[in-house]
Amino acid sequence: MNVLIVEDEKSLALEMDEFLSKEGFIVEHAWKKSSAEEKIFVNSYDFILLDLGLPDGDGFDILKQLKATKDRDDAVIILTARSAVDDRIKGLDEGADDYLPKPFSLNELLARMHAITRRKHKLEKNEINVHDFLLNIQNRTVSFGEERLNLTKKEFEIFNYLVLNKNRVVSRMSLTEHVWGDILEVNSDSNFVDVHVKNLRKKLASVSPTDWFETVRSIGYRINC
Amino acid sequence: MKLQVKFSLYNAITKIAIILVLGSIILFSLDRLAYNQLDNRLIKKKNKILEHLSNNEIDSLLNKEQSFTDYNILKEEFIVLTDIADNQSDSTAKVFTEKREIEGDVEVYRILNYKFSYQKNWYNLEIGETMTALQSIKNSIRFYMLVVLVAALLITLVADFTFSNFLLKPFYLIIDKKINLVNDPSHYDYQNIPTSTNDFKILDNSINSLMRKINTLFALEKQFIANVSHELLTPISILSTRFENMLNTPDIPVEHENKIYSSLKTLNRLKLIINSLLLISKVENNQYLKTEEISLKQEITDIHEDLEDRIADKNITYKADLSKDFQFTGNKALIHTLLINIINNAIKYNVEGGSITISDKAEAEKYILTISDTGTGMSAELAENAFDRFKRGNSEENGFGLGLAIVHSIAKFHKIRVDIKSEEHKGTSISLFF
Repeated sequence: MNVLIVEDEKSLALEMDEFLSKEGFIVEHAWKKSSAEEKIFVNSYDFILLDLGLPDGDGFDILKQLKATKDRDDAVIILTARSAVDDRIKGLDEGADDYLPKPFSLNELLARMHAITRRKHKLEKNEINVHDFLLNIQNRTVSFGEERLNLTKKEFEIFNYLVLNKNRVVSRMSLTEHVWGDILEVNSDSNFVDVHVKNLRKKLASVSPTDWFETVRSIGYRINC
Repeated sequence: MKLQVKFSLYNAITKIAIILVLGSIILFSLDRLAYNQLDNRLIKKKNKILEHLSNNEIDSLLNKEQSFTDYNILKEEFIVLTDIADNQSDSTAKVFTEKREIEGDVEVYRILNYKFSYQKNWYNLEIGETMTALQSIKNSIRFYMLVVLVAALLITLVADFTFSNFLLKPFYLIIDKKINLVNDPSHYDYQNIPTSTNDFKILDNSINSLMRKINTLFALEKQFIANVSHELLTPISILSTRFENMLNTPDIPVEHENKIYSSLKTLNRLKLIINSLLLISKVENNQYLKTEEISLKQEITDIHEDLEDRIADKNITYKADLSKDFQFTGNKALIHTLLINIINNAIKYNVEGGSITISDKAEAEKYILTISDTGTGMSAELAENAFDRFKRGNSEENGFGLGLAIVHSIAKFHKIRVDIKSEEHKGTSISLFF
């Protein structure tokens, strides 16, 4: 899958590039509105990660132009540090697939990209296999063979997030923010997430060994597969 | 008191005063005039009698001593002549008012008393003229004057009121449209209120230019907030993505890994602080809409779901008994933030095994929501400064400074009054007046 990062902040674009490349994406950059428009005109992308504040114009214009073009199905995720309240609504109204305010966690970005992929290509299965466990994203259930595991909403959310970010460390912080949202001033280094992970692991381990479900020291968790 | 009412009151009071003064002057001079007239007539009559005086005349007058001028059945006047001792010296005429009984009827008369000598004999002449007619004329004049004056008073009052109403109408329009009804400076109507009064024109224009200034400042502030957030949040996102990538580098020493993670946490804290400050600024800059229908009960249920594990973790007894499903219009996300901050504080500063009670009360015009906890509480001094940004409750890492500042600005934005009652080591109770 190919991704176009439209971002004038080069170091940020390079970090995203590094991360997404490791995930197997083919990444291209555009630093300016004009070059982005050129690239979009020539190629079609699976994902366009769009910054709004570009040196030579507004990212919204790119979005508008793209949505006006026929037969283009590029998924657009707006990434912005601009904090105008109506930007989010405007972005989604204009046809963006998602909106992620800066600063964001790369894990969160990846999870959103997976979610969009599933939504766009309905043919793709709504189920993910993890060591004989079957995650059904649609019904939000986890089963092992015939047996359906009785997970709480939050436990499923945690499991799903870790699976989407498989083979990489997901920090407690990122996990907390994903599950509880951006609750202001809520202690991000709390152990609430640990309690849920412990319960989740217990439920998984009751049917099958979970040595692939790793605790990464003081940082967070990783699911290897 | 309204200016118009003051004007009308002033008018009424001055008019009543003028009427009272004028009325009493008129009545007084009327009295004087009438007496003068009467006295002159009496004197003329006396002179006439004295002119035509003869023995015959005197005899006839003396004989009639008891019976009065019989041609005058209405007893409007009388003449009495009496013979008196001869050693009088005084001969001036005296005029006075007195009650007299004439043929059985008591009436008030104006009487001229005159002593004179005729052929060495002294006589006392009294000429009386009834005052009844005069009195009744005086009464009716008084009555009509009163009626006319009161009518004039009422008419001028109504005229005054109508005129001042007409005159002050643009003023009240300016006050209403440009001051009282303005909530959001960005939707201010700059159109001038039509008036021919210069002073109001000046007022109108001054308010307009003030509003223009405020709006420019608001727009500048909005721009500034957007810039600041961009300038601050972009470097944070560069750093945090970089740290995230570093964390996923294989084989980094544990020691470094820990440092990287704690840097990430520090960055996250910075992000939370900036976002909190931005939120407050945006609320104060009126960047949010207040158009959603919000059910307070629903919000509290949602928040409870979100915070359930925190409540359970501290073994807190949570009780939310709302008697009424209060609905109002506002910004849902902001109200959610407001409530979650209060309830989260109630959890954070609670003791192990404490309790949180959410209750409500519907009063005549207000709906009051109270969130009480059995936590550590604050001193009176702290409670007073609780809404101040950057003031910190205790040395814990996440002070409630910004949390309560957010509560304060959101509440203010929605015109909700917030009351804090707190007692150290007993708990805090926060009431919201909707």
